[in-house]
Amino acid sequence: MNYPNTKKIDTFTIQLNGKSCQAMSGETVVDVARREGIEIPTLCHDTRLEPAGACRVCLVEVEGQRRLQPGCAWKVHPDMKVTTESDRIQKHRTVLYSMYMADHELDADGLPVETANTNQLRELCKTIEPMNLEPVEAPRVGRPGDENPYIEFKPDLCILCARCTRYCDEVEAVNAITLAFRGSETTISTAGERGLIDTSCELCGGCIDTCPTGALVEKKAPKNLVSLETKTTRSTCNFCGVGCQLDLHSHNGRVVKITSPEPGETLNDGNLCVKGRFAYDFVHHEDRITEPLIRGEDGELHPVSWDEAIAAVAEGLTKVKERHGADSLGFISSSRCTGEENYLMQKLSRAAFGTNNIHQCAAT
Amino acid sequence: MQKPNAQRERIIELLEHKGGVTEQSVREVAEETGVPQADIWGTGLFYTLVAKPGKRVRLCDGLTCQMFGADKLAEELAAQGKEVERVSCLGQCDLAPASLDEEMELVTYGKVETRITPDDPELPLNLAGPVDMSYSALAKVKTMPAEEVIDELKAAGLQGRGGAGFPAHFKWNSLREQPETQRYVVCNADEAEPGTFKDRELILRQSHKMLEGLAIAAHVVQAKEIYIYLRGEYVNEYRVLESAINEASSQLADYDIKIVKGHGAYICGEETALLESLEGKRGMPRLKPPFPTVSGFRGKPTLIHNVETIACVPAIIHRGGAWFNSLGKTEAGSKLYCISGHINAPGVYELPLGVSLDELVEAAGGYVGNPIAFSPGGASSGFLPISQRELPLDFKNLSEAGSMMGSAGVVVINDTVDMAQAAKWQLEFFERESCGQCAPCRIGTRYIHRQVDKYIQLGDPATLSMAEDVGWEMEEGSICGLGMVAAKPLESARKHFPEAFKVRD
Repeated sequence: MNYPNTKKIDTFTIQLNGKSCQAMSGETVVDVARREGIEIPTLCHDTRLEPAGACRVCLVEVEGQRRLQPGCAWKVHPDMKVTTESDRIQKHRTVLYSMYMADHELDADGLPVETANTNQLRELCKTIEPMNLEPVEAPRVGRPGDENPYIEFKPDLCILCARCTRYCDEVEAVNAITLAFRGSETTISTAGERGLIDTSCELCGGCIDTCPTGALVEKKAPKNLVSLETKTTRSTCNFCGVGCQLDLHSHNGRVVKITSPEPGETLNDGNLCVKGRFAYDFVHHEDRITEPLIRGEDGELHPVSWDEAIAAVAEGLTKVKERHGADSLGFISSSRCTGEENYLMQKLSRAAFGTNNIHQCAAT
Repeated sequence: MQKPNAQRERIIELLEHKGGVTEQSVREVAEETGVPQADIWGTGLFYTLVAKPGKRVRLCDGLTCQMFGADKLAEELAAQGKEVERVSCLGQCDLAPASLDEEMELVTYGKVETRITPDDPELPLNLAGPVDMSYSALAKVKTMPAEEVIDELKAAGLQGRGGAGFPAHFKWNSLREQPETQRYVVCNADEAEPGTFKDRELILRQSHKMLEGLAIAAHVVQAKEIYIYLRGEYVNEYRVLESAINEASSQLADYDIKIVKGHGAYICGEETALLESLEGKRGMPRLKPPFPTVSGFRGKPTLIHNVETIACVPAIIHRGGAWFNSLGKTEAGSKLYCISGHINAPGVYELPLGVSLDELVEAAGGYVGNPIAFSPGGASSGFLPISQRELPLDFKNLSEAGSMMGSAGVVVINDTVDMAQAAKWQLEFFERESCGQCAPCRIGTRYIHRQVDKYIQLGDPATLSMAEDVGWEMEEGSICGLGMVAAKPLESARKHFPEAFKVRD
C-alpha cells in the first residue's frame, strides 16, 4: 500500500453489504473488503502493482454510480455504500466468466485448463452456470520460437490482464515484455518477438508468479504440478547474502518448484531472481557434495567430520605459509556468503595468515 | 528500464519517420529516446498507420463506403496489382467510397463535391462564410473577467459536440478550481466515428474559429500550451491547420500550439486514450475518476474539447450566450450535422440543434430510393427505423430513443441494404478498433461480430441467441464508451428490424 507522504490519512466508516467497516483514505474497496473477510473476486489485481481495473471481475455496485465500478481501483470515501452481491452482479459474473471461457482453452469438463500453475479463472468459473458461448478463436499469437530455458507463454490461456507486463515494468523495471497489437489480437510480446534470452529479460520468473491463469509457466515444472501432493518448506535462499525467503515445494522428497512467500510477508516482497526461483537442479544432482571429504593416501575421497576437515585445511595452509611465505597464499570468498562471512574471510586472510591476497568472486 | 528524462512522447512520430515498426526502427527509437524497446514495439503495434511497414493503398471500410461498393472496389484495386489494406472509416463518407493512396493522399470514387450550408452570417460556425482572422473575440476576452466568459458559456448551453454532450462550462470551471497551475488545453481532432466528417470541413474552411476558441480557453483556464490531436489520415487537414497556425502566429503569440498526429486508432478519440497517446503510450482509456480536468495530460489538469465545441466559442463571445442558445430548436445552439448514404447531397449542414431527420434530409437534397433506416450519430448510435424520421436529433431525445447524438454523423439507409449486413459492418469496425484492454469489449466485440457473420452465412437465428446477454455485459462491464456501445448496432437492428434476423434459406 503506497500512501503519498504529504497526505494526511483519515479514518472513517463505509458500508459494505450493509455492514459498517473502518476504512482509511487511500484504500480501495477491495482493500477494505479483504480485511473484513468479504470476498470480491479479482484476476488482474496484484498488491505490488498499480490497479488496472482491466479484468472487470471485481466490479461492484457503488451507491450513486450508474455503472458498476472496479473494486480494485475505486478509492473509498466516507459513508460510501458498496454492494458486492446482487442479481446484477451475479449476472455480470456469469456472462463475463462465460465470455472468458469462450476465449480460453478448456478441458474435457468444459472448464479453463490447469497448467503447472493454479488457474484462478477455473475456480471462478466453477461458481457459475456457464453460458457455453461459441469459442471466439482470437488470433492471439505466442512466441513459439522462444528457446529460453525457463519461461513458457501459452497464449490460449492468457486473459490479457497485463499483470506480467506491469510487473516487469513497475516492480522489476526490466521492461522485457509488453502488450502488443490491439483488440482481439492483443497479446504479450517482446521487442521484435525475440526470445526472452535476447531481450532485457533477467529471467526472474516474476511473470509466472503473478500470472493468474497459468498462461505463463515454468518450462521444467511437471505438467500435473497443481494436482501433485506437495510439501512446502520455508527456507532462505543462499545464492547471495540478501536473505530472500523461499518456499520449496517438494514431491516424493524432490523439489519441483520454488516460489516466494506472498507479497508483504517477507523482505523479498513476493519477488525472486533467476537463481532463487529456477536454480534448484543442484539440490538433487548426483555430483553434489553433501559432507566434508578428504583425499586419502589411496587417492580417493573419504567422508570426514567438519572438525577433521577444518584441521586438515589449517594444517595444510600453515605448512604452505611456513615453506613459501604468507603471500604465497590467496583467499577467494563467495558471493553466496553474507557480508559478515566475507568480513571473517578477510580477517582470516589478513590477521590469521598475514596476507592481503583476499578477494571475492563478485568484487571484480 | 526507461531512462531518466526519456522522451516517450516522441516515439510514435519517430516510428512513422522511420517507416513503421521494425526491429531496426524500434532499436533506433529506443536509443534516441531512452524508452525500452519492448514499450516502443508494443506501442507501435497498437497504431495501424505505423504497425505494418511499407506503402499500400488504404481503403475505407466505413458504413457509407461499404454501402457504396467498397468490397468491389477492393477487388478492382487488387486486380490492378495494388496492395490494399482495409481500414476503418477515413472520414470521407460524403465522397464514398474513399481511400488513401500509397503516399497517404486522399482518393475518392464517389461524388466529387462536399455540400455545406450556404454563407449565412447568423450562423456561429458558418463554414461557407468569409475567414475572420481578426481574433477580436480573443481580444475581447482579455478585457473580461474569466467568470464572465464562463457565464456566457453557461448561458449558451454549449454541450460537448464530440458525442458526450457534457456542458462545456463545467469543465472550464473545474480547471480553474485546481490548485495545480500547470494546465493544458487539448483539442480533440481525432474524428474517426464512421459517418462523421464535420471537423474535417471545419478545419479546412474555418480553422481560425477553432484556433481562436482554443486561445480563449487557454486564456481563461490559464494554460500556455495547446495540443491539437489530429487524426493521421487527415493529411490535407494537417497542412491547412499548420498554415493557419503560421498565419495567425502574431495573434497566437502567447500560446505554444502543437499539432500531434494520430496514427490510426479510433479509440484515441476517447479523451483519456487520447491523453495516453499524446504521452507516447498505447491508446488504452484510463479509469475515471480522476477526470482529465483534475489529472489529464502528464497528470496535470487538462481541458479537452472537440473541434466543433471549441470553434463555437468565438461567436458566443461576440454575440452572447443567450443568442447562441436561442439558435437551437430543442437544445441550445446550432449544430454541424454530417449526412451521407442514400440522400442526394451528402455534406455538412449547420442547422438548429434538434432538427428532425426529414428536415436535415431536406437540406441535403432529399432521400434516394425508399429509406428504411438511419444511423443518427455514427456507429456508436446504432440504427433507428425511418418511422422515427420526425424525432428531434438532439442529445436528450436520441438518448431516450435508445440511441445517441454522438458525433451527429447521420447515415441514411434505403431498402437496398440488408440490415443484418449493415450491423455486421459496424460490428467489424468495433472489433477492429477495440483497444483490447478490458475483457467485455475485447471478447464481446469479436464474439458478436462472428455470430452475426455466422447468421448471415447460415441464416440460423440460433447463432444470435446469446448476443443479447453478451451485449448487456459489454455495456455494464467495459471500461470506456467504446465497449459500452459496441453491441448497439446489432441490438438496435434486431429491435427495429426483426424481419432481417429471421430464418433464412
